Amino acid sequence: MVEAHYMPFLPWSLSWLAPFIGALLIAVAWMLRVRDERVYGYTSVLSILASALVSSYAAVNVFSKGPLYAGRDLMWVSWLGVSLGTYYDGLSALMAVVVSWISLLIAVYSVKYMEGDWGYGRYFFFFTFFVGSMMLLVLADNLILLFVGWEGTGLCSYALISHWYTDEEDKWVGRPGRRVLGYPMYFEPSHSGVRAILFTRVGDLGFLVGIAVLYTVAGTFNIVALASTAPEWLSSLASKGVLLLTLLILTLGALAKSAQFPFHEWLVTAMTGPTPISALIHAATMVKAGIYLFLRLTPILVAGALALTATPDYTIVSSQLQSYYTIIAYIGAFTAFMLASMALVSDELKLILAYSTASQIGYMFLGASASGLLLGAEGVISGFSHLVSHAIFKASLFLIAGWLIHVAHSRFIDPMGGYAKYMKLTALALWLSGLSLAGVPPLSGFFSKEMVIHVAYTASPLLAVAAITAAALTAAYTLRVVVRVLHTPPYTGAGARHQEHHLGEAPPTMLIPYLALALISLVIGLSWPTLSEVYSKMSELTLAIGSPVEAHVELSGLTLATVAVILATVVAVSTLYAIVRANLYALAQKAPLDKLYNFLYDRWYANPIIYMVFLGGGIRATGLLKEADIGIDYTYHSLTPRAGSLGAWILRSLHRGRTEYYITLYLISVAVIILVLLLAR
Amino acid sequence: MKELGAPVLWATIAVPTLLAIASQVLGFRSRQSVRLLAYLSALTLLIPVPLVVYYLGYKRVGALVDPLILDLSAYNIGFIGLVLDGLSAPIVVGISIVTALVSIYSVKYMEHRIDELHGEEVRVPGLNAYFILYNAFSSSMLGMAYSSNLIGFFIFLELSLITSFLLIAFYGYGDRLRIALMYFIWTHIGGALFLAGTLYYGVNAGSFDVLLVETMEYNRVLASVDIGGLATLAPLFIVVGLLVKMAVFGVHMWLPYAHAEAPTPISALLSPNLIGIAGYALARFSPTMFPQFIADIRDLLVFLAFVTIVYGGFVALRENDFKRFLAYSSISQMGYILLGVATLTGFGVAGAMLHYLSHAIGKAVLFMVSGVFITEMGGLRNMLLMGGLARVYPTTAAITLIGFMHLVGMPPSLGMWSEILIVLGLIGGYNPGAPSSLAVIALLVIVAFMVTATYSFIAMRRIFFGPLRQGRASKGGEVMDEFKIAILIIAVSGIIAFLVVELLIEPLRASVNPLLELVGGG
Repeated sequence: MVEAHYMPFLPWSLSWLAPFIGALLIAVAWMLRVRDERVYGYTSVLSILASALVSSYAAVNVFSKGPLYAGRDLMWVSWLGVSLGTYYDGLSALMAVVVSWISLLIAVYSVKYMEGDWGYGRYFFFFTFFVGSMMLLVLADNLILLFVGWEGTGLCSYALISHWYTDEEDKWVGRPGRRVLGYPMYFEPSHSGVRAILFTRVGDLGFLVGIAVLYTVAGTFNIVALASTAPEWLSSLASKGVLLLTLLILTLGALAKSAQFPFHEWLVTAMTGPTPISALIHAATMVKAGIYLFLRLTPILVAGALALTATPDYTIVSSQLQSYYTIIAYIGAFTAFMLASMALVSDELKLILAYSTASQIGYMFLGASASGLLLGAEGVISGFSHLVSHAIFKASLFLIAGWLIHVAHSRFIDPMGGYAKYMKLTALALWLSGLSLAGVPPLSGFFSKEMVIHVAYTASPLLAVAAITAAALTAAYTLRVVVRVLHTPPYTGAGARHQEHHLGEAPPTMLIPYLALALISLVIGLSWPTLSEVYSKMSELTLAIGSPVEAHVELSGLTLATVAVILATVVAVSTLYAIVRANLYALAQKAPLDKLYNFLYDRWYANPIIYMVFLGGGIRATGLLKEADIGIDYTYHSLTPRAGSLGAWILRSLHRGRTEYYITLYLISVAVIILVLLLAR
Repeated sequence: MKELGAPVLWATIAVPTLLAIASQVLGFRSRQSVRLLAYLSALTLLIPVPLVVYYLGYKRVGALVDPLILDLSAYNIGFIGLVLDGLSAPIVVGISIVTALVSIYSVKYMEHRIDELHGEEVRVPGLNAYFILYNAFSSSMLGMAYSSNLIGFFIFLELSLITSFLLIAFYGYGDRLRIALMYFIWTHIGGALFLAGTLYYGVNAGSFDVLLVETMEYNRVLASVDIGGLATLAPLFIVVGLLVKMAVFGVHMWLPYAHAEAPTPISALLSPNLIGIAGYALARFSPTMFPQFIADIRDLLVFLAFVTIVYGGFVALRENDFKRFLAYSSISQMGYILLGVATLTGFGVAGAMLHYLSHAIGKAVLFMVSGVFITEMGGLRNMLLMGGLARVYPTTAAITLIGFMHLVGMPPSLGMWSEILIVLGLIGGYNPGAPSSLAVIALLVIVAFMVTATYSFIAMRRIFFGPLRQGRASKGGEVMDEFKIAILIIAVSGIIAFLVVELLIEPLRASVNPLLELVGGG
């Protein structure tokens, strides 16, 4: 591995600092009650542009010279050895480029999309602050700085999910009135915001405990230092038997942030946020933070374990790592399958995309875990390449959804339909991004998914079976949306005709971002041979990998089988909807399919169960403790004074001024004293 | 250490009260002169902040000593001196910032409150008299944090109790006389227990000095005195006395009454500043006086801390009265301070002191926000009647979010650092060597910290989000007067502290190590 080049803090850290400065300026403008929307929008776009330019320049430098390390000696908290270091290696530099450019495109889209919104300034403040936090998370050289970015993204996610906090019904998620096991299945923005921050915070706290354990053992938060001392702390933790648990607790953060089972519920209802936010935070970037952390740490763990090969500790370290990666791989595979199954029946456009996001991130975890199981780097690269493909096509899909929901005046897909003839370019973008999601060659999604499936197969054929099944479901739900929205007439006719007069392409500043992203999906796919070179070079430049990893897709029996399954699904679903015009939707709501339909529609009942246990349990606990508190209050402030009064009354009753009484008492007392004195002798 | 050229620390204690007395005696009762008094007091109260930043943070001076030292060693009391070191710096900064800005905030609030009381035909002392008590209360808290001597500490403690008792009794809400008395009795029991234990140590040691003002070293005589049969009872008195002051679970019952029914500016000193000082005292005094005892009860205190966090948080979730909700949240927050101190590790104690400051900032902001609704929305305190208020009070909503972030420990608020340090202290102190112990600690941390996050964000939603109630439509933009700017400044100071936390953490690091050497750690 090439030694990093040390760089000054500025300008190299501007990639995360610039958006923060932008956010600060926006906050000041907001406090000064600036009314002009352009001030907010332009400040945001310009600061993100600066970030994108700096990170691109840095990436170019990384690929030509090797890793860059800026501001290593600029200490923030010297006791903890926490510096304001910006670390660009192969992984972080590419990630920063992807994040910053997608953010820029979505910022441009937002300027138009949010026009006239009553929370315009607030929107751009959190948007920009989010980009800064995300870039910090990606580029941080130590886990505390990463945690700062991590929590910053969570805060912005919370604020933006509840952006329309006055909770009008058209901003909800879920069918109003629908309940399961007594718990509502519709969510207001302000409710969704609280859910998001609380669900993810469970993981964040796990992450914090995990890094505290690492620090106690390794004495550092610095990622580079952790990589170099990995063999020592791995054996130290493993010999105490806590390696597996430490890693699992640490990974809670990643699982919660990336909406893996059982934390996926927050992401689903996060769709109450404005659509560009769903595109940026809840599809392209923030939800990738978890998998990014996992990709960051996996090579360190693998290299650390490999360095121990000849030592006696190797067995315990590798066995605990095996257990760890097996657990994560199955969580990933299960999430991929579970959420894809929900997407099959959902009738809300953004919800389908949200299910799909959690499901696709499941693939990334699966791929990266395979790295740990195989003690190699292929899985990490497959996970990362799928991350990039997904960020691009899913951002595009969400931005398209934003426009479609706008023209349909509904978040449901039933009133949508036949849009292809009104918006050719949007249709093209939807097809390209959709097919990429479905994993159809030669789009980018095909290659990256193929890599994941391949590496999963090498690790365990069972995992590959789950992945291929989920791939078929993915193709099915994607095509269902694409065909129904673009090519078949709407299911609910009401309003369809009167919409027609404003059906058309989105304004250029909205159209260009999603069209560009869709085309990039295609271009990446077509130029995969070149791109695989980039990924291979990237792995060479990444901390704790340091050697080139082959990133091309081999034409094997497995590949052919997967492609066959996907293409068959694509053709079948398209035929059913577009040619046969089958109303599967109506069919599914009749017995005997309705049970399955409701099970999937209500998200496997995960939400009511979580609510029953935690919310129900919590409410009961608060009630119980409140009662206890009243009891304590009563004991102290009512019983005790009464006991005091009673004592006073007894004593008082002895002093009523009756002489014979006093004499008797006197005699008794004297007798008692004498008795005591005698006995004490 | 550095001896200051002038008795600046004494001045920060004496000047505000003297100013208020002078203006009362001279009869400056106009609104303008009271405002001037508030601002002058605020400026004086703020003096410690630049001292901490420059000397302790920037110059890395170990401690500042006020030149004016009262020599009472002839009476076996020791030296009554005022000092400022890394351990007390977060406490002093917290008191300084909060008391100064609440002083400015008080003008509008107390005018409103006194009018209200006059409307109820209750005769209460006027605004100027309020400021005498207010400033004496603020100064007494600074005095506690500065004290190097146990008797000095106790005198300031009693002063704070008397002044705050009067403030509640005069200007409080509800059944204020009963509540003031309840507050007085409870905290007096705490104070008396503390005094009883302290006397036993001091009389036997021939000195009540905790820190030797000459060298700023800890007085090792206190811990080495042989107190025979009372070796358990005396420290127990002190610990219990301080725990009553902190209002940890079991002896917390006075706090919801006192803190909810005090006039809001006083609530904004009681909760953020006063109760946490007991946590600071626990950290400062117990290793000096009874290192063995405190090490022995470490597990018990850690457990009590978790119980307090969870209990206070859960009961807070059930409260509908905004101020009572905040009061229970304060109980819960004291659990964090106790947790950090009880770990007896450098990170834990430093985290606890830093948490004092982040809680001071966060809770002061939140109490002051509750005062905004009380003054501007006709005494609105019931959270069931709130909802959607962010539409009317967007800036206040933003400030409140910052306040809650301090409690929850989210960046960019100082709370994040205290949270990290406390967790590091806990993990470092227990160094889990088996999966089961790690699982227990992780579970406790997650549950405890989640409770805080839960009540914070749920309250945020109940107050500010959702549809706005009928008839509460926004009448133009939110007005930002000095009343609200004071809140904003406190909130922003927490963000600044987050950024320049090194200025507090390095002095803390320097001063916790000698302290923990006393308990054999460090």
